[in-house]
Amino acid sequence: MDTLTRRRFIQLTGAGAVAAAAHTLSIEEIANAAISRPLPANTPILVIVTLYGGNDGLSTVIPFREPNYYALRPELAFREDEILPIGTDYALNKSMTGLKTLWDKGEVAIVNGVGYPNSDRSHFSSMAIWQSASLVADRTGWLGRWVETQKEDPFLAIGLGSVLPPLLAGEKRSGSVLPLGGLRIPTGRLATELRKISQASSEDDRLRASAARSLNSLFSVSEETTPILMQEELPAPDLPTIVGGNAGGESNLSAQLSVVAKLIAAGSPTRVWSVSLGGFDTHADENSAQSALLGAVSNSLTKFISQIRATSRSKDVTVMVYSEFGRRVRANASQGTDHGTSGPVFLIGSRVNRGFHGEYPSLQQLRNDDLAVTTDFRDIYASIVERVLGTDPNQVIAGWRGRSTAIG
Amino acid sequence: MPLLFSSFIRSVQLNRTFRVQPKGSGRIITPTRRVLTRTLEGVFPKLKSVLDLLPGSVHLEAINGGYAPAVPSLEDSERKAIARLTHRVGFGPAPGEFAALLNAGVASTVTSLLEQLPETPSADIETTLGLTELGPRPKPNTPQVVEYSTAKRDMARTIRLWWLDRMVTTSAPLQERMTWFWHGHWATSYVKVDEPIVMFRHINRLRQHALGNFNAMAREMIVDGALVYWLDGHKNTSRAPNENLARELMELFTLGVNQYSENDVKEVSKILTGYKVEKYSGTVSRNLRQAHRGAVEVLGKRSEFDALTLVDHLVSRPRCQEFIAERLWFRFATSSLVYPKSSGIDGAFSQREIRPLVTALITSPEFLGSEIPQVKSPLEWMVAALRALSIVPSSSQRPDFILNALTQMGQIPYSPPSVGGWPADEAWLSAASAQTKIQVASFLTRNADLSPIADVSTKRRVSELADLLGIPHWSQRTLTALQSAIKNPPELMTLALCSPEFQVNG
Repeated sequence: MDTLTRRRFIQLTGAGAVAAAAHTLSIEEIANAAISRPLPANTPILVIVTLYGGNDGLSTVIPFREPNYYALRPELAFREDEILPIGTDYALNKSMTGLKTLWDKGEVAIVNGVGYPNSDRSHFSSMAIWQSASLVADRTGWLGRWVETQKEDPFLAIGLGSVLPPLLAGEKRSGSVLPLGGLRIPTGRLATELRKISQASSEDDRLRASAARSLNSLFSVSEETTPILMQEELPAPDLPTIVGGNAGGESNLSAQLSVVAKLIAAGSPTRVWSVSLGGFDTHADENSAQSALLGAVSNSLTKFISQIRATSRSKDVTVMVYSEFGRRVRANASQGTDHGTSGPVFLIGSRVNRGFHGEYPSLQQLRNDDLAVTTDFRDIYASIVERVLGTDPNQVIAGWRGRSTAIG
Repeated sequence: MPLLFSSFIRSVQLNRTFRVQPKGSGRIITPTRRVLTRTLEGVFPKLKSVLDLLPGSVHLEAINGGYAPAVPSLEDSERKAIARLTHRVGFGPAPGEFAALLNAGVASTVTSLLEQLPETPSADIETTLGLTELGPRPKPNTPQVVEYSTAKRDMARTIRLWWLDRMVTTSAPLQERMTWFWHGHWATSYVKVDEPIVMFRHINRLRQHALGNFNAMAREMIVDGALVYWLDGHKNTSRAPNENLARELMELFTLGVNQYSENDVKEVSKILTGYKVEKYSGTVSRNLRQAHRGAVEVLGKRSEFDALTLVDHLVSRPRCQEFIAERLWFRFATSSLVYPKSSGIDGAFSQREIRPLVTALITSPEFLGSEIPQVKSPLEWMVAALRALSIVPSSSQRPDFILNALTQMGQIPYSPPSVGGWPADEAWLSAASAQTKIQVASFLTRNADLSPIADVSTKRRVSELADLLGIPHWSQRTLTALQSAIKNPPELMTLALCSPEFQVNG
């Protein structure tokens, strides 16, 4: 199950794509920007959650009324008392209690059967197609191209982590990255000298300049500004404080979203955030592993939405959750599944049209043993660009006419 | 792709014009002038053309950026070539080595790196290191489980330190360098395999074939217990195939992405059915009752394949030749410019012999004559530092400090993050890794023998430091910082190890 992580994808794309380099921002720089030029009130904000590895859609949005669901995957099918029904025909994985609550409040849209024509089962190719919004895996990302339609601003689109997600890569300008994790700033005489070698030099090649910058960003956390991230965790008033749905260990996704929540609350002039979670490549012993991961996604998103609701930006945030493909309908011999085709996309926020969109792929009529693709992912992107980001989708996915009913 | 080529050609053109520049304060040593071409003839005929390219590799971005290009001297170019060779083909120079290689010249450096005889671990190495097959985990809350867990932890530590020791002390670094490369290629992790001796055997197989025949290596790998277990090959049966191993065998190990159809994946996974792994020894056998029977068609050839004949078929495909060359290019040359197809480097791989391919790569104008800076990965950075400081990990003051630092920076041998291996270049340059490097450098220099720089006059320290670390040239920025610490050898060394010049091989 850990045979594919985000790193692998990035490493592989790094071999091929050469797009504009990313800024590495420090939390302090973002905090300063938030104070000096906060995002204007009511500006829509997009948060993209990428699930790396290929999430099994049939165990996420479960077609529990469908007899073939039990017939085709007896090893993996959940019993009716092991699921969280939403509506009459479908249920969420039992670990997704938080998301179920949001669904009940009418803040969730689920688009079924999302994918692209002639599914490619390579993680690499499929993720490249999703992140570039191009069937030939363009070297720029769809949101990187959006960045280039906007006024230049390194704070406009930020990916959490140490590596730029390909979806934020642009031709001339890309989104920025914000590394996670607390840093200890060196002090004393050595620090003075280290500061000297962290300065840019005209003799540096591209990579030496990056090495100098990585040292420099250690120091750019200055003592004067109040570091926003040192603040306590934002309150999540909607969630019970007793042990329950809110409990559970910190996952990295939850840490990433916690940072995003604080920076949104502080007014960071950022309109697109990208976070991710790996580990969905469940070739073996899928049920327990995937449930744990979906639980982490659900819990951290619920907490995030609750935290945002307590701020003035509660109406502004739209979240999209996707993975590069779904998995096979039938299990393999290891209680896992191999790479498949379409899967559900989740959209969360007050700008989404609650409920199901797109046709759930039929289990009576499989295509070559796989789920059909009933919605092209670019329909969703185009609607997001148009109705959330307020930009002409032609500038991002040229000529794409399809739209999704899930947004706006 | 066009980007690569035009810039390469342009750098070649620029390289033709050069002049010798007066030495700046960063200039280090004065190697005796040699007539390079004469030394070369008869050694590596192809190198002559390489050396024609060497002088004056001008940095294109510097020109494009509008500031004055540094026009390097012949000696600068030589220092750069030797630094590139020693850091990428080896693990960085040991004390005194860089100066000696400079004296010998580029051609001799290439020869000495390529002609080293492999140092094969002795036949009883497992016994020597105290490695055993651990068998099943005893029941929880028993005295046996404590003993078992302690033994497992110690063995995992032993195999890591043993390999690090080899990288640090070897006088034949190419073999270890290639073993390390293949570890990232057939990237299999202890995290899932969970048996130290099985992982040790996996790496030893890679070491045995590191510069040998790729087909022979691939045949060993497809029935290697660690690899098969890692990719769920032991769970793949004719009744319900598990495609993990089949797909990665083609995508990541032999052919590259999009070189096969989905049907090929299904067919290959049929061939790979029925293989069983004895978990505690890594022995692979085949249970014919769970195996697919009959002929299948893979990439246009229909045959009653088994795992070994399948590997022969895949490795013999023309695409394999180019794919392995691309992977070597990615790791030895650069991750940001695609493999220059027209270089014909892959031609040397026609018999699937690895040594001629490596030779062709590192003697090519594209490798020695282009601007292809490379970030040292955390392990490469650590080993280069340990070599320069003559610190042998297992007998150092705190071996666990070294292992922990590698884990923190995200690169510990035996545990690649995924079957795709480790990332490259910018991915390693975060503020967090800068912080760890500062801690590691401060710790190591407090406990190291710094006599190579402490014993020379303060005037010569900066240039000695460049030779000790195999750095062609200090930037003015770094020189200024080094000069301020000139009287404090540990601090001086810490700064040098953290400098962009040491973190990135030019």
